[in-house]
Amino acid sequence: MKIQEVPQDITYYEGQKRACYAINNEGKYVVVPSSGWSVEDVVNGLAVDEMATALEETRKAVFSGLKSPLCYHMQRRQMTPGILAQTAGIATFRVKRHFRPAIFAELKPSVLERYARALALTVEELKTVPQTPERESK
Amino acid sequence: MMDQEFTSGGKPFIHYHYAHCETGVTATLFRDQGVDISEPMIFGIGSGIFFGHLPFIKMAGVTISTYRTQPGAIFRKASKRLGGKFITQKYRNPQKGMDELRRVLQTGQIVGLTTNIYWLSYFPNRFRFQFNGHNIVVLREIEQGFRVSDPVLDHPVDCLTEDLERARFAKGPLEPHGLMYYPKFIPPDPDLKAPCIQGIKDTCRMMLKIPLPVFGIRGIRLLAKKVIKSADVYGFPEACRQLAGLVRMQEEVGTGGAGFRYLYAAFLQEAAELFGSGELADLSREMTGIGDVWREFAVVSARIIKQRKSAEATFAKAGGLMLVCAGREEQLFQNLYKVAGKLRA
Repeated sequence: MKIQEVPQDITYYEGQKRACYAINNEGKYVVVPSSGWSVEDVVNGLAVDEMATALEETRKAVFSGLKSPLCYHMQRRQMTPGILAQTAGIATFRVKRHFRPAIFAELKPSVLERYARALALTVEELKTVPQTPERESK
Repeated sequence: MMDQEFTSGGKPFIHYHYAHCETGVTATLFRDQGVDISEPMIFGIGSGIFFGHLPFIKMAGVTISTYRTQPGAIFRKASKRLGGKFITQKYRNPQKGMDELRRVLQTGQIVGLTTNIYWLSYFPNRFRFQFNGHNIVVLREIEQGFRVSDPVLDHPVDCLTEDLERARFAKGPLEPHGLMYYPKFIPPDPDLKAPCIQGIKDTCRMMLKIPLPVFGIRGIRLLAKKVIKSADVYGFPEACRQLAGLVRMQEEVGTGGAGFRYLYAAFLQEAAELFGSGELADLSREMTGIGDVWREFAVVSARIIKQRKSAEATFAKAGGLMLVCAGREEQLFQNLYKVAGKLRA
């Protein structure tokens, strides 16, 4: 890759640049900052869209009373039940049980507190989900 | 890209922009001690280049393929071969881990940390995934947080204490357990020749000699054949997901382009100058050529994914390009092994 070929396609790095190794006119390798490559946008976009779709489905499931907000917030943090269980110090099977709205509604404040801390939220935030789809993760 | 910064001891610190986090942190720790060593050199000496296709491990439903050795190996090998002694420490208790970090920073020492990239909120959202292997350097404590030199960014950043604690003690695969490391002793003017030869030979052995079909050149061939058949086996959408995962491993995760192939070519170029070897210079050019084929593979893959319709012919093309890479890399590493045998430290 020559320095002229280093892709400067997109700006989804939000102003950040990434270092690429490329050959300059004297044939020497140098570091060239790149603002992004359309190929990366395609492959990364696929993963990001997939997560956003899954999250949106869960959000709707919370409103139709099928899932608890805990499930939504776990997905929003890109966690699995296993990771959440370890982070909160609660057994995995209990975490999965707490995805059921009726059981989640009866949780003790101390358990909610642990989930809130694990997910970097307040207890109030943990009990609700946003009214509209949310794409940003923080 | 440079920036004037300083550590808590008031010593000036120069931030460089690196392609990869682990080599970047290792180079930073060496450079801070006055050793002038580049990222490609660390990468080559630490035998960073590799290929592995791990069909039995899945992350978010996508099988893992890697273009590098396992996390931590580059740092371990490079520092050992260069004769550096490091203190590495893991913690069970987050509070203790943070206190220790503060204590070491106060001595004026910069500290390398392994973190979970999701909790580092200074990153653009699209880079934030639950991945526990990101390495950063902490310079000093500031109000409400720490000054951080993240090698893959082109300038130092501030990180909140809360974020850093979460990132260091995140759970999940490859838990960092608050791992921190800093030099105890770095030789002031280390010899590079012997470590270079060691690194090259180790790399050639890993790429050519591991008797398992999932590693090295064999791994590339195995995966190439899988890619060719993938649309028939998994169906088009799933095949696309797997292919996208593969290209992400190659281009997204701080590889300097083409799955570390350009970074390795840069190392071979530097080694060629060090030894005054024309053969190494030729091999560097060949590596660049191989990198270009990997880039082409990424472009073809992106086209397949974008079309979103049955296109077996192009899956065959993508896999074919990988086979080209496998063939050329096999030749290259065989030649490299012979050349390394002739080099004198």
